[in-house]
Amino acid sequence: MSKVKISGDKYAWLMAVSISTGTSHGLKPMEANPLGGVRSKYPGPRAQISRDRSLTWWRRILPIIASHRLTFITSIVLSFVSLVFQTLVPNMLNHAITGIQTHSTGLHFEVIQIIVVGVLAGVTGIISRQYVYYTAYNVEADLRSLIYEHLTWLSFSFYDRVQSGQLISRANSDIRSVQMYSTFAPLIIVQSSIGILAFGFMLSIDPVLALIAMTIMPAMYFIGIRMRRVLFPISWITQARLAEVATIVDENINGVRVVKSFAQEEAEVNRLADAAERVAWAYVKDAQFRGKWSPWVQNLPQVGLALVLVFGGWMVYDGHLGIGAILAFNAYLLMLQAPFMMLGQLVMMGQRAKASAERIFEVLDESPDIVERPGAFDLENVKGALDFNHVRFEYANGAQILTDFDAHVSAGETVAIVGRTGSGKSTIARLLTRFYDVSDGAVCVDGIDVRDATLESLRANVGVVLDEPFLFSISIAENIAYGKPDATYDAIEAAARAANAHEFIERLPEGYDTVVGERGYTLSGGQRQRIAIARTLLVNPPVLVLDDATSAIDVHVEAGIYEALSTLLARRTTIVIAHRISTIALASRVILIDEGRVVATGTHEELLATTPLYAEVLAQTTREDE
Amino acid sequence: MAWGGGWGGGGGGMFGSSQSTGLPFGGIPSELQAEANKVLATEPAREKSSLTFHQRPSAKERLALTLPRMLRAYPGWVAGGSLLVIATSLLLQAGPLLTEFAINRGLTLGHRSLAVVYVCGSLYLVLAIVNALLQRVQIDVTGKLASRVMHDLRIRVFTHFQRLSLDFFTEEKAGVLMSRMTSDVENLQQLVQDGISSFAAQGLTMIVITVILFWTNVVLATWTVLLVVPLMFVFTLWFHHASEKGYLLSRDRIANVLADLSESLYGIRVVTANNRQRRNIKNHRHVVGAYRDANLYTGRVNAIYGPATNMIGIFGSALLLGIGGNMVLDHKLSIGALVAFFLYLNRFFSPIQLLVQQYNSLQQGRSSVIRLRELLQTPPSIDESSDAPTLPTIEGRITFEDVSFGYSPDNLVLRDVNLEIAPGESVAFVGPTGAGKSTMAKLANRFYDPTTGRVLLDGIDIRTVSLQSLRSQLGVVPQEAFLFAGSIRTNLSFGRSGLTTKEIEEAIDVVGLRDLIDRLPQGLDTVIHERGQTLSAGERQLLALARAFLARPRVLILDEATSSLDLQSETVIEAALDRLLEGRSAILIAHRLTTAQRADRIVVIDEGAIVEVGTPHELLSHNGAYASMYQAWLASGGRDATRS
Repeated sequence: MSKVKISGDKYAWLMAVSISTGTSHGLKPMEANPLGGVRSKYPGPRAQISRDRSLTWWRRILPIIASHRLTFITSIVLSFVSLVFQTLVPNMLNHAITGIQTHSTGLHFEVIQIIVVGVLAGVTGIISRQYVYYTAYNVEADLRSLIYEHLTWLSFSFYDRVQSGQLISRANSDIRSVQMYSTFAPLIIVQSSIGILAFGFMLSIDPVLALIAMTIMPAMYFIGIRMRRVLFPISWITQARLAEVATIVDENINGVRVVKSFAQEEAEVNRLADAAERVAWAYVKDAQFRGKWSPWVQNLPQVGLALVLVFGGWMVYDGHLGIGAILAFNAYLLMLQAPFMMLGQLVMMGQRAKASAERIFEVLDESPDIVERPGAFDLENVKGALDFNHVRFEYANGAQILTDFDAHVSAGETVAIVGRTGSGKSTIARLLTRFYDVSDGAVCVDGIDVRDATLESLRANVGVVLDEPFLFSISIAENIAYGKPDATYDAIEAAARAANAHEFIERLPEGYDTVVGERGYTLSGGQRQRIAIARTLLVNPPVLVLDDATSAIDVHVEAGIYEALSTLLARRTTIVIAHRISTIALASRVILIDEGRVVATGTHEELLATTPLYAEVLAQTTREDE
Repeated sequence: MAWGGGWGGGGGGMFGSSQSTGLPFGGIPSELQAEANKVLATEPAREKSSLTFHQRPSAKERLALTLPRMLRAYPGWVAGGSLLVIATSLLLQAGPLLTEFAINRGLTLGHRSLAVVYVCGSLYLVLAIVNALLQRVQIDVTGKLASRVMHDLRIRVFTHFQRLSLDFFTEEKAGVLMSRMTSDVENLQQLVQDGISSFAAQGLTMIVITVILFWTNVVLATWTVLLVVPLMFVFTLWFHHASEKGYLLSRDRIANVLADLSESLYGIRVVTANNRQRRNIKNHRHVVGAYRDANLYTGRVNAIYGPATNMIGIFGSALLLGIGGNMVLDHKLSIGALVAFFLYLNRFFSPIQLLVQQYNSLQQGRSSVIRLRELLQTPPSIDESSDAPTLPTIEGRITFEDVSFGYSPDNLVLRDVNLEIAPGESVAFVGPTGAGKSTMAKLANRFYDPTTGRVLLDGIDIRTVSLQSLRSQLGVVPQEAFLFAGSIRTNLSFGRSGLTTKEIEEAIDVVGLRDLIDRLPQGLDTVIHERGQTLSAGERQLLALARAFLARPRVLILDEATSSLDLQSETVIEAALDRLLEGRSAILIAHRLTTAQRADRIVVIDEGAIVEVGTPHELLSHNGAYASMYQAWLASGGRDATRS
């Protein structure tokens, strides 16, 4: 029994695998995780993005970068120092070569000088880049954590209207491009300051030639602007179309059963091919636009070099200038070339980053609809009296679900809610746990409006077994302990027994340690539902809502579950949403709802006798007629 | 490199229509809309793809995936692109030669001529412009090449996904599979578009320069090449080794990050209901942290390589000055040649810097190729034999012949099952959960193959026929009703294209969803989001039933397809079942014995074996397992179907 270990760290094994490969590559082994796995020393983000939406995108990101300012500034300063050393070299060569004819003793001093400067440039360069990468990857990790954390707290209404595939995209590549720009851009700008240094040296050699050499720069600038105008829209189009492809792939992975059942592989391949064709066109267009402008960005420095040769040559011919100057100008113009190419790249990166940042902000600016009121308090010693006071509810898309739902459940009572499909039964469960807020009216637990309670205490006291039993790809024991990760093995087993799941779990090859496959599909629907019930039972909430939670479980097993419930969870307020008579029979009272209102309430027999609609909903009219 | 955004990109399409539904996501910023529309206006209308899907890969598809093989499909573009790369790399190296010529023939004592300087300078200028024009063509060509190659690859990988069997998707995390089709393919896109050509251009540049250096002065060139190149070479080998491992590692770990993220998002409702937010956040930090650590390792390697190569370059300059300068003093070398040497040395090292950059993307691309190759070489566990014949239109006789099956070999779920279902007959499988009912259904449409024994359709072993012809005649309605993003109409036409609105409306009426459709603002064209979370589980099941109804299969398998229905909907469905089952064989897996009672025959399954078979009437009068089940069902309030 003790072999079951609730590590609570669902990816511990994954990390352990990658660490074991990691150490062989010379990575430092990570510190042992007290939770049972291994973990990184990554402390989590130290700052948030700015909430002020009027700021430009990079100012909103700034606080994150500022939280790494020490390494960031060090990297930039050292990078600048390294550049200064690098720019010294061509000038040293200029003096050495121009002076060669007058020399008689050799060039030892000049050679040693250059070597020393080279070492200094190298060492400062290496250190500065270490810090650049350190900052960049920490910023990325921060952004990833932030967006995950933000998503975790968003409300159901958000997830109703947004596709998860899109969110994953935002949380992945968009973060990457923002991180690239926000951390590498300042560095590139610093590196580009090599241009100013180089220009300075050129001026000191010959101001006229320096100005001639620099005539190409305005052209570079305007081409950059033009490029930016053209490439920005196409990069958006490309991104959007890549997301279409991603959505199709996502659906085909998650809906593989349906695709195969209907033998629609060919149709799906063609659907993807069409989407891929649209991506391909966008990429071709992108290349066309780049081809139109970027060769000029690359070749303008060559034009500068040609100008230096013509005019510099003339000056040398006239005796104004030494031959070494042509060499030095060449070297400096080449030094300019790299930063200008990088600046061009920077423009593109900036476009992408801005687009990405806006998409990320769209997510981060979403605030949860369901928030705690200031002064919200913890629900304590909940007895379980529930009141739905004239509740009206409509979804964000305007669908009116509850019109005037007014119902009261006393503490310890078991009530069944019955109604047609779409009559709003499930909504009631979702309002009780504040997955959604009422549009009007109030939902109270023990007379306290759920909106006055802290969310955590509310959800700890009101347990819902949802109609769709989602399991995570962790072990069954961890799935059952999902709401109470520190539960003991005995408690887990007890919950599993109560949910009639113990037997089949024991029969699995690894028992409670069996890792559930993707989305739990290795288990049958009924088995998953039983694990979902065990998961809620383990938390042992005073109020329990079973939202169609036993639909896939056969009658025998269901009866067993309710039997266990009645003893294990005696004196607990239970709301059962179901359409099986066997399930309804467990309730002491039935609330019949239709068109968002309570139509009748009473015992099963009473309703059968008094309310034709009830019989109709239960489809028992024929039987009663006989 | 990146995928994201949420915009249909104009031109309609399945997701284009979602724009109108007021999704918060989706949108090109308004200030760019005009410019984007201008771009989109140039997009030609395209025919819908009409690829054919074969379960068996062609001989060409069976070859291991390599970059050269991918490129080989477009020899013209590859050749053209290569020529252009060569031409531009050569042209770019003319500058220092012209400078040397100008200095030696125009600016040194005894050879003074301004005309030479001007001619050299003008020629230089012209070459730079020609080069720019050539580069433009080159970017166009490689852009087209990359987009075609990636288009092929996307379809190839996706087609392979379609070939793989269910067990593959159960075992592999969705996030990992996702990243194969997204980030891995996009890595390669970058590589083919810019990486390879630039890598080739830089490599070529180095070769050209080496040749010119030796041609200019053998002694000085030998010194330069002997001292600098081996150093660079050894250093690059180290870098190669270290960075490849780093990239593989960080690729693995980003897959973990995405897997964790995607699971958390899909399970967000459970996370919220269980107050797990804080814990999950902490956990995600570990996953993200592991990814960061892999990145930091790669970063350290990169940080050393770049500046260190730069340093070697400066040492090279010092060396040239020391040796070459003294040679000029000794009149063994012209000053023009020394200047040219310096010019080339600069150009020698900047390509190395760029090569390093390109090398990174080459590395990433390579690890992506490896991963994709592995994926493409994963065989489906359920496969067709080569030239598997088409299953002719069947009457619907289903035979289980001595069938045993286990998901793992040592744990049999079914043992020696024998059963024959006659054409047009409907058979209900009943029995406790986990007895093997669903497994029987999964064997019938070949989601899995029996460990021993055979499953036959009209006497034909289903393993011998093509999967497409098999499954298109079997309609399965699984318990979990998966809906696609798109309108209700497209979802319902999933199994059969070209349905008329009338047919769809009829199906809606049959399953009793008229109310829902009337309630929805856009009726049949209402777009379903996120697997239909705004619909109830029952409504989703009804839609799935309608979808199966419209596909008109020869054999219908309902795998607990009515579990989430309320009794009223179930009554509608049961009336509809008569229509659904008309002239078809059917397997009904139901725990509701009312449904079972409707079947021609009932098969009671327990512990992987058939316990009882017979008509409902026979079994009830027989007083066996079914009779006692039925009694229990009635006792628990089940509707007595025998009396209606």
